[in-house]
Amino acid sequence: MVHWIFLILVSLSVFSAPVLAEPVELVMPNKLTAKAEFHKGDPGKPTVLLMHGFLQTHEFPTIHRLAEGLASAGYSVLAPTLTLGVTHRKQSLACEAIHTHTIQDGAKELAVWLDWLKARKASAIVLVGHSFGSVETLAYLSAYREPLVRKLIGVSAVEGRLKVDGPRREKLIKEIRALIKAQNKSLITEQFSFCQKYRATPESMLSYLEWTPERIIAEARRLPMQTTFIMGSRDDRLGEHWIERLQQTKAKVRVIEGANHFMDGDFEFDLLDTVLLELKTL
Amino acid sequence: MKPLSIGRLSLFFVMAASILVIGLGGYFWLEIRQATNVLRSSERDSARREVAQALVTVEQHMRDTAQALAQWEETRQQLVFPEYYPVWRDSRVRDAGLITPRVKSVALYDKTGMILARQTGDQALPNRLPSKPPFVRYVAVAGQHQLEAFFPVFSDPAAEILLGYLGLQFDFLAELKRAHSFRYADLSGLKIALPNNSQMDVKNSLAYLQFDALPNPNLLAFLALFQDSQLRLSLAVLVSLVIAAWLMKRLVVHPLRSLSSEINAMRTVDANIAHGLIFKTPLNISELENVRRAFSDYQERLFALHENLEQNSRDFFDQARHDALTGVFNRRAYDEDWHGLGEDRRLGKAALLLFDCDHFKAINDTYGHTIGDAVIQAVASCLQSALRAGDKLYRLGGDEFATVLLDADPLQAEIIAERCLEHIMAHDFRQYGMSEPTTISIGIAHSHAGDLSLSELQKRADLAMYAAKRPASPKIVCYSEGMGELSALVANRSINAVFLAIRDHNLIELTYQAVMRLPMVHKEYVEALTRIRLDGELIRPDAIFPIVQARKLDAEFDLSVIRAITRDMANGRLPANQGVSINLSAPSIVNAKVVDAMLALVRAQTNRKIVVEITETALITQMEIASANIAQLRNAGALVALDDFGSGYSSLRYLATMPVDLVKFDISMVRLLENGDQRQKVILEEIAGMVISAGYELVAEGIETRAQLDKIIGMGFTHAQGFYFGKPGEEVEPMSPA
Repeated sequence: MVHWIFLILVSLSVFSAPVLAEPVELVMPNKLTAKAEFHKGDPGKPTVLLMHGFLQTHEFPTIHRLAEGLASAGYSVLAPTLTLGVTHRKQSLACEAIHTHTIQDGAKELAVWLDWLKARKASAIVLVGHSFGSVETLAYLSAYREPLVRKLIGVSAVEGRLKVDGPRREKLIKEIRALIKAQNKSLITEQFSFCQKYRATPESMLSYLEWTPERIIAEARRLPMQTTFIMGSRDDRLGEHWIERLQQTKAKVRVIEGANHFMDGDFEFDLLDTVLLELKTL
Repeated sequence: MKPLSIGRLSLFFVMAASILVIGLGGYFWLEIRQATNVLRSSERDSARREVAQALVTVEQHMRDTAQALAQWEETRQQLVFPEYYPVWRDSRVRDAGLITPRVKSVALYDKTGMILARQTGDQALPNRLPSKPPFVRYVAVAGQHQLEAFFPVFSDPAAEILLGYLGLQFDFLAELKRAHSFRYADLSGLKIALPNNSQMDVKNSLAYLQFDALPNPNLLAFLALFQDSQLRLSLAVLVSLVIAAWLMKRLVVHPLRSLSSEINAMRTVDANIAHGLIFKTPLNISELENVRRAFSDYQERLFALHENLEQNSRDFFDQARHDALTGVFNRRAYDEDWHGLGEDRRLGKAALLLFDCDHFKAINDTYGHTIGDAVIQAVASCLQSALRAGDKLYRLGGDEFATVLLDADPLQAEIIAERCLEHIMAHDFRQYGMSEPTTISIGIAHSHAGDLSLSELQKRADLAMYAAKRPASPKIVCYSEGMGELSALVANRSINAVFLAIRDHNLIELTYQAVMRLPMVHKEYVEALTRIRLDGELIRPDAIFPIVQARKLDAEFDLSVIRAITRDMANGRLPANQGVSINLSAPSIVNAKVVDAMLALVRAQTNRKIVVEITETALITQMEIASANIAQLRNAGALVALDDFGSGYSSLRYLATMPVDLVKFDISMVRLLENGDQRQKVILEEIAGMVISAGYELVAEGIETRAQLDKIIGMGFTHAQGFYFGKPGEEVEPMSPA
């Protein structure tokens, strides 16, 4: 009962006193301009960097609502949009588009954004990724060591594959590597993640395929910071026993009963509540 | 202007109505055509406006499409990393669904306007931008009509960071057709008059588009309906006109023609006016039926009027041909019947009888016209009753009657004439107050076996009549060859001479016959005997006086004779102191002019003896006037002699009533003194003795022998005249008494 009253109060505070978001554009190393939304919060609270899912933007509802909620709670929130090879990108990139971006490119862009946060005197940074954004943050964390990053929260974190799995994936990876070795830049169209026809360059395709579930689990185990995975019990985009496999890591796994992959509806409050609880643990 | 027949009028009406229907049909057809043309023109205008709107839509669509494509993030992706630009251009951009299949070509240009990858073929966009975008243009290349749109591509929403340019090429026709759901424009036959390798603004391309307006289904349906309706209406009207014409012909024209023909037939002279309902065919039009009945009624009345007129005509004809007084045929009928017999045709066996009432004028003057009329009626009735059935009796005038007896021989004619005379004699004229009987004279002329013409027969009958009229003649005289000398009576020359002598007394030539005083037998005076000399021919008294009497010219002729005697007295042909006896007819003695002239002569010739001989005393009708005039003459100094005493013209009654001085014994009586039987001689001697005893002087005419002279001297006659003493005009020597 107290829990519900609290949520109602938080909601009232959110809608009654909306936090003004600041659009941010930042030129990435590849000369492309990336867009982001920044909510300045209390200086004493950690800053939250929200990473959107695969091919999405920071306008995606799950990210957007979470950013609003966290900002309302006094947290500084930065929600960038990966360029994915498109300057000033602000729309989701279609599966059928010519994907030339790699997961490492995203990590580089995250690094730029973290530098941007540090330039703004962020004392502590919590990375929150949604869906494949969780994998993207893992890729960043595996490539960069940033002391200000104190915690990783993976919301509806996926295993990086959905349609391509097992031996076929291995075989595909080998073929792509052979193409890359042969400097064959022909576009490859394969089922990937939620895309039925994902068309990408061999480097792009390979960068994502190499982040296998096992690599995700492994990277998660190696993270030197608090790691929490918030999962929905009704998330149908996950592989079998994925949540259990996450639970086998040292990361904390919170499961929101009844929530789906996007934590929408009433479960957005549960998500916000859970994230806030996790933020308070710092 | 010649009036038109109802048939022609009807035909004209039907033709005029047909022409009117056709004309109206044509007029409405033209009006509809004109309205259709206006509608079509309006639709063409609408079609052009529609195409113009479509062009605006096309251009806007192109702008929208290009704008969407320019704002597409993958477009920006290609401008930044064009490594896979051909893939993007050839497949990705189409698979993304941002452009339609009508977009024939897509190209990206860098910021300098150079195309990222060259294109070839008809659908190739230019390698270099022709001008600075954004712009849309219409291009015709190699018969292909296409629209090209070029727009800048910016990396930021504020359009501050230019990445490059986007080019799109559209199929113009396909885009145009798609752009609008054309209601008016028919682009199936669209022709574009833009020459190759030309380009222009899209909006201006309308001037080069040639297309038709879509057929308006409503208009087509309306036209079809109108044509069908007009055709049906025209047919219906024409059929109605034909039926109307047939009905008009049957109900109006034909009956009117029949009526007109029947009426027209009545115009002919020999047309008979029928009796009863003339126009029998009933007419189906009430007004025409009224006309027909009116004509029939009028015809009926006309028939009655015609009958009445015919009856009147017959009556008038009868009246015109009948004598109103006697009821017998008149002179007109006589002339018409003569004309009917034929003037030049010679008759077969026929007889013409002329009747003349003796002394009728004297009767009329004596007893008055009423009795005269009664006498005429009685004579006519007697004659009519005496004629055969079928014989026509004509009153030629006055007291003259005539009849033509066809197929009658002379004997039959005489028998009929005698019967007529007997009927007259048997009639009691005393019932009219008359004291003497009425007699008639009858002249008969025969035609034997067609040897005479009508005129000749007429002439002969006239001669016979005059012969019968002569004193002592029988009352019935048939023409005989010996009467040829009487022809002068009726000869035109003699008649002409009489009339000329009346006007010019110098034509009268007088001869003087001595009247001897007895018993000394010396000339006491002379009697003037009248002749007429015309062109050297001498016309004798026997030819003169019948004409004078017949023409009732007694007074006028006697006046001319008096003038002639006066002339002779003046020129000495009558010696001074020579007494003269002048004959005056009965009509003259009651004529004031004659008496006045005679008185003037007597008074002017006081030194000579003037004797006035009154002839035909029986014809004196106004006895009192005659007596008064005679008294005047006697008082003036003249002696008055009663001529022809003893003949039919003079009788004892006149001797007793008239104051005369001398009595002239008719020659017939003188001859009886010599040739008569004893009793006749005694009677004559007694009469002569009685006259002498009464104090009259007695003159004997026709003394031709000494014995006759001696006889009359013995009887006491006071005067004598005759050839014994010399022919008229000869000088007479005194003779010694016996």
